[in-house]
Amino acid sequence: MNDGLEQFPRKRIFLAVIGIVFTIFLGRLLQLQLLYQDVYGKKSEENSIRPIARDPIRGLIFDRHGELLVDNHPSYTVTITPSEFRLSNLEYLASVLRLDTAFIKERIRKGKLYNRFAPIKVKRDIDFPTLSILEENRDKLPGVDYQIESKRFYPTKAKGAHLFGYTKEISDQQLTELTGEYRPGDNIGATGLEAGYERDLRGKKGYEFITVNAKGQMLGAYNDGKNDIPVKEGNDLYLAIDEGVQAMAESLLANRRGAVVAIDPDDGGVIALVSKPDYDLTDFGGGTSPEVWNAVNTDSTHPLFNRATLTRYPPGSTFKMVLASAALQEGVINENWRVQCTGLFHYGTKIFKDHGTHGSTNVVEAIQRSCNVFFYQLMLKTGFERWTDYGEAFGFGQTTGIDILEETSGLLPSEEYFDRVYGKGKWTQGYLVSLAIGQGEVGVSPLQMACYAAALGNRGFYRKPHVVEKIRDKETGQFQIIVPESRRIDLSDHTWDLIQSGMYKCVNEPGGTALTARVPGIAVAGKTGTAQNPHGKDHAWFIGYAPADHPKIAICVLVENAGFGGVVSAPIAGMCIEQYLYGHLIRNNSLESIIAHTPQTPDE
Amino acid sequence: MDSWFKENIDYSVIGMVVLLLVISVASVYSATYDAGASVYFHRQLIWGCIGLLLMFSIMLIPFRTLQLLSYPLYGLSITVLLVVLVAGKVVAGSKSWFGIGGLGLQPSEMVKITTVLALAYYLSQRHVNLSRFKHVATTFGIVLLPVVLILAQPDMGTAIIYIGMLLIILYWAGASNFLLLTLLAPGATVIATLFGTTAFVIVLILTATVIFLLKENRLLSAFVFSLTVLMGMSVQFLFGRLAPHQQKRILIFLNPDADPLGAGYNVMQSKIAIGSGGLFGKGYLQGSQTQLNFLPAQWTDFIYCVPSEEFGFFGAFTILLLLTLLMARGVQIASLVKNRYASIVAIGVVSAFAVHTVINIGMAMGIMPVIGVPLPFMSYGGSNMLTNMMMAGLLLNMYANRKEY
Repeated sequence: MNDGLEQFPRKRIFLAVIGIVFTIFLGRLLQLQLLYQDVYGKKSEENSIRPIARDPIRGLIFDRHGELLVDNHPSYTVTITPSEFRLSNLEYLASVLRLDTAFIKERIRKGKLYNRFAPIKVKRDIDFPTLSILEENRDKLPGVDYQIESKRFYPTKAKGAHLFGYTKEISDQQLTELTGEYRPGDNIGATGLEAGYERDLRGKKGYEFITVNAKGQMLGAYNDGKNDIPVKEGNDLYLAIDEGVQAMAESLLANRRGAVVAIDPDDGGVIALVSKPDYDLTDFGGGTSPEVWNAVNTDSTHPLFNRATLTRYPPGSTFKMVLASAALQEGVINENWRVQCTGLFHYGTKIFKDHGTHGSTNVVEAIQRSCNVFFYQLMLKTGFERWTDYGEAFGFGQTTGIDILEETSGLLPSEEYFDRVYGKGKWTQGYLVSLAIGQGEVGVSPLQMACYAAALGNRGFYRKPHVVEKIRDKETGQFQIIVPESRRIDLSDHTWDLIQSGMYKCVNEPGGTALTARVPGIAVAGKTGTAQNPHGKDHAWFIGYAPADHPKIAICVLVENAGFGGVVSAPIAGMCIEQYLYGHLIRNNSLESIIAHTPQTPDE
Repeated sequence: MDSWFKENIDYSVIGMVVLLLVISVASVYSATYDAGASVYFHRQLIWGCIGLLLMFSIMLIPFRTLQLLSYPLYGLSITVLLVVLVAGKVVAGSKSWFGIGGLGLQPSEMVKITTVLALAYYLSQRHVNLSRFKHVATTFGIVLLPVVLILAQPDMGTAIIYIGMLLIILYWAGASNFLLLTLLAPGATVIATLFGTTAFVIVLILTATVIFLLKENRLLSAFVFSLTVLMGMSVQFLFGRLAPHQQKRILIFLNPDADPLGAGYNVMQSKIAIGSGGLFGKGYLQGSQTQLNFLPAQWTDFIYCVPSEEFGFFGAFTILLLLTLLMARGVQIASLVKNRYASIVAIGVVSAFAVHTVINIGMAMGIMPVIGVPLPFMSYGGSNMLTNMMMAGLLLNMYANRKEY
């Protein structure tokens, strides 16, 4: 036999090592299978321990006053243990549960892949009559059982569809990505806080170790349950939300389309976040029936869409304070710079109209009366770049970082943006004229506008908005307090004085466009805006804060297709402010009567 | 032509591989049995057939072509690893998969082959001398590049395998006993330290003895010994600084019995499955451990339990014997080929089979830590199956070209 090359003299060593390892393994095999066969054989017969998962109860959600907003109620979930289920019962079970036989079959198939001795959830939240039928036929339906689970329940008037969000059954995709924590049939947060705080709300599964015999039948608890891993309940969320304001805003927007976002300017806590039209979260709490899902999903008013954080409309005149602060802070103008408003503005061959003739106007009056001609001229004087820079400083064109996952960054045009879209040199200064009054390409969300209002109210402290203030650990009882990030928009006191004075007068002095926002006994400051809408009636904006000297609440109201901002949005904001600062409504009037009894000045 | 087949095909390798395949498919069938055959069974059958075709195709690649392709294939595979890191799919927390039409492919498996080819090409060059630091460093570089990319996925098990393969290949290629000791001793000390001071002292004494016997340059010997001591002590120091739950995790990794319901659960169930099989086993499809799914994913990492339980010692021994003979045959082929490149390729294939087998069967029998690696030719999984079959193809190719210089 050819012993090969001399350069590899280690054949013998290699063969010897292989032989040694083989011998060790062989020895171990003999030890396990022959020497200890009795021991292991017995263990396998008695066998053995099987971990059974117990689902945790989701954490509760409270408002800023400790009022319970999201609770749990028991619900019954039907399960099938694939190894015991008889396919001959399939038709009958499907008719009792009102499910498709193919659906149940698919469920069983999936469950088998994991463990055919573990029950798999088939239908959530069955009603009592169905439960009784199953209970009566227990003997005829081997392998069919039910578990008591919890489903969400919303005890207050604040229904918070987009705020709280819903949970839904985990998808196959998520199952492969989140391995270990979830099993098929588990629920997972899909939208709103349920999704944003899934890790906290969910808790941790517990395990009971039970003994089963060699046929897989349960014998009892292993080691008297001493080894069981207890369920860790989900942590509770304490929100900055004020239940009264949230419920009020929801009722005021009923039968309208729009959004309300209110923020505490001191810390960025979200007092209310409403999007309408919405949907009933209780329909999504247990198993969502396909009919309900289809109805909501195909509704032409898009109730699933969160208008408070995802809408991207032009802000209209509410954006004028961005341009005013840029011009004042950069020294382009001072309070003595005046424009003679004739109601018309000529640029090139185009004529831009104002909604009134305001005469000689300075910056404070221009904000108060929302004079367009003033801002057309101011834009050309201040320049595009500064406008973009200050818009960015106020948080536009970027996401706010709120703790609800779905959010738009909106759009804040810049020179580079226009160069990219229209081509370099293919756009003119004329494009800026629309931007000056918050029309054209610029797009913002109500959430961004509420943060902007808060920053205007507290003179430049921009706090990252957050719905959750603290999280209570269910095991230790300790609170984890969420410390909001903040930054400073650095403008001079004089600039702030002028801007704030304009916003105060806009609500409180004749000629102002937001007189409908007034609240007895409270100094409200604000600004209306109207987003031009090529498809129908304009969208109405209002932003504001109160009390004007030391604001406790900043608010943004958007009502779609409502016309001027002062008509509907401003009084809605006023009533929310009233509710928040007094704790209840002091006026006995309905929204409609407030609208009817206040003089109105249109803006555009 | 007939005589070519007689002359150049190693029927023993083919025979062992086919036998292993048959046992594998039968085991997967049983492990996933559920009133009939499962998807896993059908897929494993298909992978096995594709694998056989691949094995024969690789056997027929002209020797010189293969040699010349070594570096380009290695470069290509590194590129693929980079792409996976950026665009791969996350499965079980590890970004190591490519999705192609519903079937997942795991490139880190295939890269084993290209790394072996590149190593063989480098080490077979005349000027490469393993007593020179530069050349040892380059060898390490060839292996560490894919290892780093795989660790970034992160996939600890596969990375450990590459290191094991590297040591085996280096030793075959002529690395001195002293170099092997330098590489092994610090690692062994680290593990021993975690087991306790006694183990630490024993390993130090062993190291000192071997260093003495090797009679290497005194300065170098002293350096290696101090490095070993230092590694052990720094591990002791670092370990004391870890949080209690982290310490616990490391100890459980080394000794799963300490945590019978957590990490130790699988090992306990696996030992019960093997042990309860006895001499003749409980019969095909009759194993209670297997059929009642006490082991999660027993068709992949714990496949060895299935035949061990159902066919008893005869089943377990047959698989162990087949794999051992395959490796021994590989070593024989590596020493009878005339070409150094061919020899290192063959030993590279043996090293891959060996490291996988030792870790996997050792884990199933409870004498190795739990590291999730597949058992060659046995575990369910496409990438793994194809890789092993291609490696068997390489072995056949080296044998067929054993007379090439």
